Amino acid sequence: MTAIVKSDRNIERPTIEGVAMTDLAEKITAYIRENFIAGRSDAVLEPDTSLIEAGIIDSTGVLELVEYLESTFGIKIEDEELVPENLETISNILRFLASKGVGA
Amino acid sequence: MSGTVHDLLAASAARHPDKTAVFQGGRSATFAEIDSLANRVARLLTQAGLDRQDRVVVIMENSIESVGVYYGILKAGLISVEIHEKSTPSEVSYFIQNAGARACVLAEAPASRLGGIEIPVLVSPAGPGSSRARTFVPWSALDAVADERFEARVSSGDIASIVYTSGSTGRPKGVVLTHGNIRSNTLAIVSYLGLQEDDRVMAILPFHYVYGKSLLNTHMAVGAQVVINNRFAFPNAVIREMCERSVTGFAGVPSTFAILMNRSVFPKTRIPSLRYVTQAGGAMAPALTRRLLDCLDGVDLYVMYGATEASARLTYVPPDRLRRDKLGSIGIPIPGVEVTVRDDQGRELAPLEVGNICAQGPNIMQGYWNDPEETSRALKPWGLVTGDLGYRDEEGFLFLTGRKKDMLKIGGERVSPKEIEDAIVESGMVHEAAVVGKPDQYLFEVPLAFVVPLDEKTFDLEALRSFVAGRLSPHKHPRHWTVAKTLPKKPSGKIDKEALRHEALLEMRVA
Repeated sequence: MTAIVKSDRNIERPTIEGVAMTDLAEKITAYIRENFIAGRSDAVLEPDTSLIEAGIIDSTGVLELVEYLESTFGIKIEDEELVPENLETISNILRFLASKGVGA
Repeated sequence: MSGTVHDLLAASAARHPDKTAVFQGGRSATFAEIDSLANRVARLLTQAGLDRQDRVVVIMENSIESVGVYYGILKAGLISVEIHEKSTPSEVSYFIQNAGARACVLAEAPASRLGGIEIPVLVSPAGPGSSRARTFVPWSALDAVADERFEARVSSGDIASIVYTSGSTGRPKGVVLTHGNIRSNTLAIVSYLGLQEDDRVMAILPFHYVYGKSLLNTHMAVGAQVVINNRFAFPNAVIREMCERSVTGFAGVPSTFAILMNRSVFPKTRIPSLRYVTQAGGAMAPALTRRLLDCLDGVDLYVMYGATEASARLTYVPPDRLRRDKLGSIGIPIPGVEVTVRDDQGRELAPLEVGNICAQGPNIMQGYWNDPEETSRALKPWGLVTGDLGYRDEEGFLFLTGRKKDMLKIGGERVSPKEIEDAIVESGMVHEAAVVGKPDQYLFEVPLAFVVPLDEKTFDLEALRSFVAGRLSPHKHPRHWTVAKTLPKKPSGKIDKEALRHEALLEMRVA
């Protein structure tokens, strides 16, 4: 048996050093689109869309997102920081990343 | 008129009408308000022309309204068919057609959910205020319905719910539960958990799932309270609400506790009001149970086992025995239920001999909806054959050793790999497909897909992923895809899933 194509939800991403804020927003948006709403053309994803209320991300999705943020940006996210204020929307995620020195 | 599920709610409403029954965010509803909402829903559905034992499909998240809709359907003598709120239009149309539903209660615009099926629809307050559909009834119509006690002849033998569950043969099967089934199970759970009217449970599990529903029914039955929180995606916020609301109980499946113990403030938080925690929905790793026990100082942990076919619950481990010497066991039968270990001919086996876990009792389903073949496979003269394998020790404590072949357990839910394989093949893009489970830290298992393209040159994996995403709810989407030229076969010609599982595990280690 030979595998010829692979698609994995946890694809390794390049680092983002020197990337501007808008690119960061685009990058996060692309990650969420690719991993959580692939194939759902009806899904709306605006900076202030609640990822939870819109049914885009569930409880394990939040953890996948956190792992992605940690590994991609080389940051440590504490359990205490897993709150809606930091992760509910793309805007919140960007604000949270900025507070950790990412994209600032 | 006795012996129904909704009578338990009505009795509590009569005992303390003004007590809060359900909290949801900043809102709450008293027992009298829930009962009144149920009366109006029952009257509205009856006025709309529904007859006794007609099926009503409900697609709603847990809410004060969904509670009123559930008891309203029961009061009217109708049958509630609650399904996953993330069901895709093709899944929804399967449920509607399979159940022969005559109405639907939704939280969204009908067109987007029903896959074009024309059916009368009542739309919950979260939905739009109007629609072009002829048969559309806005939630506000309930305001015009007389708020009086609704009386219909409903007896314990009437069907209350059809609950869809995955079977090994593919599409989900409808488990038929009567009022008597659910009521007896509700009262048995109340008894072994020692639930009283000053209890208050945090409900994060969906009510369309029997474990979640048992939280609602047991608490309504004893006049206790339910706190609805649909945002376990942020466990810390749930924990905060558990503290603020002084809940006495909490219920979760293994993935709930994996998240709480590994990525939340739960291990560092003391919730002084917490009296008990329950865990069901699949076997939890003993190491995790041990860590949970360590962190639940002075709190009773109930490890439990059940099946949709058993209304919910079959066995539980008494908390003191769990701490002392029975970790790893699924416990002893709940009151009124007999659980036995038998061979394929139905002969009871001696202690420590491994066989089929079977169950008899007033909670066991009537069968699968319109499926005599599957029913005869599951219901034998000696009771329900759960599909799980196990043994009992000399003391009568039961232990599981394996489960129904080829079934995945994703989060708390049973999923048939065949249902996922069928959806993949339906795309017309593959020659064959196989789905196996991979152990997952949080979800217990996640599905992996192996596919052989019909035409390698034109094959587009993203298009296939999109197709499957349009057919199946998100938890059934494969997490990893491998495209291959062939799949390994057994001498019989069947796909060798054992080899695929092995390959999947190897690959994960290399990756």
